[in-house]
Amino acid sequence: MNPLIFTTILMTVLLGTMIVMMSSHWLMIWIGFEMNLLAIIPILMKKYNPRTMEASTKYFLTQATASMLLMMAIIINLMHSGQWTIMKVFNPTASIIMTSALAMKLGLTPFHFWVPEVTQGISLTSGLILLTWQKLAPMSILYQISPSINLNILLTMAVLSILVGGWGGLNQTQLRKIMAYSSIAHMGWMTAVLAYNPTLTMLNMLIYIMMTLTMFMLFIHSSSTTTLSLSHTWNKTPLTTTLILITLLSMGGLPPLSGFMPKWMIIQELTKNSSIILPTLMAIMALLNLYFYMRLTYSTSLTMFPSTNNMKMKWQFETKRITLLPPLIVMSSLLLPLTPMLSILD
Amino acid sequence: MMTYIVFILSVIFVVSFVGFSSKPSPIYGGLVLIVSGGVGCGIIMNFGGSFLGLMVFLIYLGGMLVVFGYTTAMATEQYPEVWVSNTTVMGVFLLGLLMEVMLVLYVLKSEEVGVVFKFSGVGDWAIYDIGDSGVFSEEIMGVAALYSYGAWVVIVTGWSLFVGVLVILEVTRGD
Repeated sequence: MNPLIFTTILMTVLLGTMIVMMSSHWLMIWIGFEMNLLAIIPILMKKYNPRTMEASTKYFLTQATASMLLMMAIIINLMHSGQWTIMKVFNPTASIIMTSALAMKLGLTPFHFWVPEVTQGISLTSGLILLTWQKLAPMSILYQISPSINLNILLTMAVLSILVGGWGGLNQTQLRKIMAYSSIAHMGWMTAVLAYNPTLTMLNMLIYIMMTLTMFMLFIHSSSTTTLSLSHTWNKTPLTTTLILITLLSMGGLPPLSGFMPKWMIIQELTKNSSIILPTLMAIMALLNLYFYMRLTYSTSLTMFPSTNNMKMKWQFETKRITLLPPLIVMSSLLLPLTPMLSILD
Repeated sequence: MMTYIVFILSVIFVVSFVGFSSKPSPIYGGLVLIVSGGVGCGIIMNFGGSFLGLMVFLIYLGGMLVVFGYTTAMATEQYPEVWVSNTTVMGVFLLGLLMEVMLVLYVLKSEEVGVVFKFSGVGDWAIYDIGDSGVFSEEIMGVAALYSYGAWVVIVTGWSLFVGVLVILEVTRGD
């Protein structure tokens, strides 16, 4: 793609999310979502094969439907409150419609079906942008309307997302689908605590973005999209096998790594609000996530995965320069002692 | 009839929307879009917005839909789908028509319609008005406001349209 056009389109994606996050008028928020959607389509379609085009079309259709539902909720809110300012949504119907629209944008169950298919059909870098940057805008709106969201619907979607994210990722060997299911599960954790303490949602989003960025950078570095090709990293750069191990265990939520911090805080906040069964269920279902991360670490760093002899030597191409990998790795594994700093997110 | 003109026009509006959402070939979709555009213009004019209605005709129908019609004519297939050619399309169209007819009967029977939210007559959709603009019409004031208070909206929508063109060119470029 022409670099000038690519820069313009990428800046428009950024501008769209910024407009969503900083507007006070519902219509501008909707415009921001549409701008974001429009500009990310050519980024998803970087290579021109039918797979990417199908993935971009699926993404466009689901997100456009979600935008339509959002507009409907905005208009019902306008009818019942008479004003366009962002604050809590005044009508229960509008609140439910808006929550469903934002859940479709985020990929929460029962609207999660597009996430694995779209993530699998696009290149690794586009998948990275899709699973990290695109989650910021809907989450910021959820944060702003959080006082008025129907708790039953929110918690149902959250718990089902954690379940689907864990269970669905069990049978996958393609790395992009694994990251997609991991994204669904993490979104579930984020929305579960939204009604109780939205600061923790932001904390979880921050840590999730760092960990997902790290994982994708490591995958891009070894150009691997399947478990099998990831298992050959011991040959290419042995150091990244250790880094993959640490980051994957952090994503699984194991102490003393930083992925434990959001899960710990969320469970603590939920139990403070006297719900015991819910965080127990969530923690148990997060074990499913941990299982397939552990399977990846087993094949990558803990064992030398069986492969044919001619695949044991990989081509030594010129090393790609990966942006910010060392700081990201440090941040995604060692942030746990900094937990008291989460008060800055208020 | 003139007291119910807005109601009749909005019924035709919804029916033509049902007509193109039941997905016949794009040529026929464009045909009912023309009808819905014209009828929508009529609805706006009945509330006093003659400028905006003529804008719909000129820009929407006369600019965008003409270009759409030409491109669809270039890309059309030999036997395009009509509403009666395919059982699915006809089924969806009839279902939409049936729902609209039932809604219209409900509205005509009772004062107040409470499907998702309460709607009691055209008064609910009245234009929000400050009240102290006796001499000027509100829609012209709206257009003027777009360019004064709403400058940010103009910038954002202008940029979105520009990027829309870039995106479309990029997507259809191929390799």
